[in-house]
Amino acid sequence: MIKTEKLIKSYGKGDLELTVLKNLSVEIGKGEFVAIIGPSGAGKSTLLYQLSLLDMPTSGSVSINGKNMSSLPEKEKTHFRLRELGYVFQDYALLPELTAVENVALPILMQGVSKKDALRQAEEALARLSLTDKKHNLPSQLSGGQQQRVSIARAIAHKPHILFADEPTANLDSVSAEPVMQAFADLHHEGQTIIMVTHETEYASKAGRVISLKDGVVVSDMKTA
Amino acid sequence: MKKALQFKRELQNALRVGWFLAVRSLRRSSKWTTTLIIFIMILTFLNLVVVSGLLLGLISGSFVAFREGYSGEVIVTSAAQRSYIENSQNLIAFLTHHPKVEDMSVRYGVSAQILGTLTDLPGKNERANQIGIRLIGIDPVAEERLTRFSRFIMQGETLRENEEGYLLIGANMIKKYSAFADANIPGLDLLTNIDIGDRVRVSLSSTDGAIRKDFIIKGIVKSKVDEISTRAFITDKELRRLIPVNKNEVQEIAIRTDEAYAPALVQEIKDFMGNYAARVQTSGEAIPSFLRQVETTMGLLGNALSSFALIVASITIFIVVFINAVTKRKFIGIMKGIGVSPLAIECSYIFQAMFYGIVGSAVGLLLTFAVLKPFFDAHPINFPFSDGILVATPESALLRVVILLVVTFLAGYIPAKIIVRRNTLDAILGR
Repeated sequence: MIKTEKLIKSYGKGDLELTVLKNLSVEIGKGEFVAIIGPSGAGKSTLLYQLSLLDMPTSGSVSINGKNMSSLPEKEKTHFRLRELGYVFQDYALLPELTAVENVALPILMQGVSKKDALRQAEEALARLSLTDKKHNLPSQLSGGQQQRVSIARAIAHKPHILFADEPTANLDSVSAEPVMQAFADLHHEGQTIIMVTHETEYASKAGRVISLKDGVVVSDMKTA
Repeated sequence: MKKALQFKRELQNALRVGWFLAVRSLRRSSKWTTTLIIFIMILTFLNLVVVSGLLLGLISGSFVAFREGYSGEVIVTSAAQRSYIENSQNLIAFLTHHPKVEDMSVRYGVSAQILGTLTDLPGKNERANQIGIRLIGIDPVAEERLTRFSRFIMQGETLRENEEGYLLIGANMIKKYSAFADANIPGLDLLTNIDIGDRVRVSLSSTDGAIRKDFIIKGIVKSKVDEISTRAFITDKELRRLIPVNKNEVQEIAIRTDEAYAPALVQEIKDFMGNYAARVQTSGEAIPSFLRQVETTMGLLGNALSSFALIVASITIFIVVFINAVTKRKFIGIMKGIGVSPLAIECSYIFQAMFYGIVGSAVGLLLTFAVLKPFFDAHPINFPFSDGILVATPESALLRVVILLVVTFLAGYIPAKIIVRRNTLDAILGR
């Protein structure tokens, strides 16, 4: 479903050039729940940005469903992200001036759905994450765990093919992190493809497959029980 | 065709999402900030409309005073090189029966000398207390109807119909009352030591020799229209008795009609009289050309000041939107990241800027037409040469609203475009 070939990502030029991803090739199938782990500077987030089309590789390619995405113009990438991909950011990344339900409704609205239907779908997504009673709260009126669940609701409300999560529990304590990870597990059981970056092995073990990076290369790639 | 349809669909969606974001951003932004920005927009609008309107109003006030206090909407005067309006009685008959003529005042005029001191002869090297003046014969009733003449009486009383032996004199002809009394103008010797109730001697030149008659000053007239403040007035019946010839030929006819109809009436009178029998002008045409030039200069000055105000407003909006967009750069990145189109984000900032522009203009319009214009109409600014009013028409105000909104649009769009075009990931990561 998603495949990288000889992916290289470098920053800077000349003596200051730093290569973060080095000839990296991975393949992730439909319905997989993949955790990408590794120490700081291993290239986890950089890989995620390439896979999720938020960044352009220096060389190599990323293809989704057999289509090379690296050569797509920015406008089409934005369209593709809107229709096919969902994102959960480390710091929740909710828009502070929108309520929980409005935050979730925004990408649905952008797809051309009517406001009424977008808000209804957003409420359904919030209900799945047990946040119905918080739907009219602004992000500032929610706890970190609740904000992250709203962020997940926003990422899944438009039913994306692939869900990306960048350190979704990094800012949460264990009590708050638990329902977030449970939400990912539930989504995986429903067939959702999930690619998650984490540095916490405990949460990585909940994924079906763990790809371990070090210094920009894959050092292990194994399925969990 | 397909591309055009797709663009239309994208634009519609971007407008819809932009509106959704803008409404919520405005609703949940700081009330103080919103109020302050709108206040700046109101001041900008007032600067655009009121400053230029007042500058123009200084001159327009004098035009209004000229029309209402002297010329009416149409004024007929003697043609060049003629001392009276030819066939004036026929013209008066024509105008009396003209359905569009609401009122008129027929004025007779001669050149005269007024001697202020009748008792003492001047010394050997002294000039007489005497001044040359235009003596106008008016029908006090008709003049009152046309110009509300009695409002110009600053001292004493106005003339009554059929009154004899009484005279009104313009304030600028008497040293005690003249605005030019302090000016050392060579050749301008104003009348001294005379006031209400004093006797003066009027002399008219005639082929039969000088005609002299003594009058008692009944009133002093003062207006910002020179044609009133520099003349003397007696009743028309008395003037016609004094002058030996052409007793029925008049020098001025001021006509009240619908202002919009004035040019047509001018043409009708010209058709009736022929081109050389009289000078026929609308009030606007009769105004001295230097005043027209002053009006143009004031207009240019007003536009220059308005342009500065517009630049300040556009920079203000630009800075507000730019700072707003810069502080939300991360969120703009996130929106782009989750698939919100750059156009929708730009639309959101444009809508916010337009909100400030529209509310500022609306409040500015309300203040202009409901408060300031009625106030200045009721209390004109007292300038030496005019009563300054606020010139603001709905058309000119609307034009300024459009200008302000176009500038606001650009000031909202450009900073939003600058921020939105930045790399999505850099914006999200704050790089």
